[in-house]
Amino acid sequence: MTDHQWSELTAPYALGVLDPQERTGFEAHLAECAACRSEVQSFRDVAVLLADSAPPAAPAPALRERILREARQVRPIASPRPPLVLWIAAAASVALALLAGNAYRTERAARRELEQAVARTRDSLAAEQQLVQILLAPDVNTAVLTAKGRPPAARLFWNPSRRRVVIAVFDLPPAPAGRIYQLWAIAAGKPVSLGVFNTRPDGRVTAAMDVPPDLAAFQVTAVTEEPAGGSPQPTQQPFLIGKLSGGE
Amino acid sequence: MEETPERVLVAAIAAGDERALGELYDRHGRAAYALALAIVGERADAEETVADAFGQAWRTAGQFDPARGSVAAWLVTITRTRALDLVRARGRRARVLMRAAWENTEGLAAPLGQASEAPDRGVERAEARRLVERSLAELPEPQRRVIELAYFGGLTQSEIAAELREPLGTVKTRTRAGMERLRRLLAPLLSRGAS
Repeated sequence: MTDHQWSELTAPYALGVLDPQERTGFEAHLAECAACRSEVQSFRDVAVLLADSAPPAAPAPALRERILREARQVRPIASPRPPLVLWIAAAASVALALLAGNAYRTERAARRELEQAVARTRDSLAAEQQLVQILLAPDVNTAVLTAKGRPPAARLFWNPSRRRVVIAVFDLPPAPAGRIYQLWAIAAGKPVSLGVFNTRPDGRVTAAMDVPPDLAAFQVTAVTEEPAGGSPQPTQQPFLIGKLSGGE
Repeated sequence: MEETPERVLVAAIAAGDERALGELYDRHGRAAYALALAIVGERADAEETVADAFGQAWRTAGQFDPARGSVAAWLVTITRTRALDLVRARGRRARVLMRAAWENTEGLAAPLGQASEAPDRGVERAEARRLVERSLAELPEPQRRVIELAYFGGLTQSEIAAELREPLGTVKTRTRAGMERLRRLLAPLLSRGAS
């Protein structure tokens, strides 16, 4: 039995809900205390069983194919030669994880953090790779979105074969509380919603959206500010407008 | 019919075998989804979580260490971590707390009574589930509550104390007492897992 000040931390640690400071100290202790380690392991086994108390539910059948599709896309990243910039991003992420370590952290905890940092980096690489595939297609159309008399605020990429639009916003303050930005395609004079987005505090964001299958062709895109959740039709005049060019 | 052992399956995944990943999903996808849904609360987010979790399993299968637990346990841990990451990233804690409050009197075990067993799990699995349900139901409600808030809500002890307006020491005592009691009640499953 563990009969000391640490024993009250074994259960929350096994449940993964210790505060970061507490966790760091406790992991240092764990490295030296076999009794606590075995108690943590037994509570972890209990925690795994608790998953069985989740109400049964069935995922959509398409989820299986999605997982296999995404797996096919991730694999190439690990092999031959990703672009240099991606390696730099991965290296930076690992370096940050190293800096975040401190003298108390056990080697094992540091390694786990590294693994998690690498996993996160790979995830963002997979997402970026998808974006790049959309952007580099030969038939992609682009538009620069501007407000009248102002420098460009966003660039839009329309990939007709994948029916995906990517909007890269680089100069737009976040929408006020309870509001959101909505991107529209103007087809035959009528606005059709492509999706909603918001920018980060630095005024930037990159968002990918699906284009509705019934939308055949459009030349103009526009952005309005709408109530959170978006609107079926614009409730105000667009403040950013861009005309598509290129491709075909 | 002889099933491929789970460890062999994971080794095949580590070698890049997509069919093995499909098989892993067929065995554990449903349970992972149910867990994710209980944490994130929305179908689309739960599917996102499961896709993330199996993506992580695909990438990190080479690091799976059978000495540390079963494949099912590995997937549960990955899925729960991913689900809690998503909840935290979206600032959705409030939703989890609302759900917890709604379950206040009944606990999570309640809806399980009417639920049908997922068809892709064996009899053994159904028995295990029933024992987990019964064991949770045997806990005094305050103990079950703090464990559920930690497990499905990802709340720290001090966050639970604030949420329930109880002293931190009380929350800690209840968590420990509840987990110890569960460990005793679930001993048949735990010893089998270790063998």
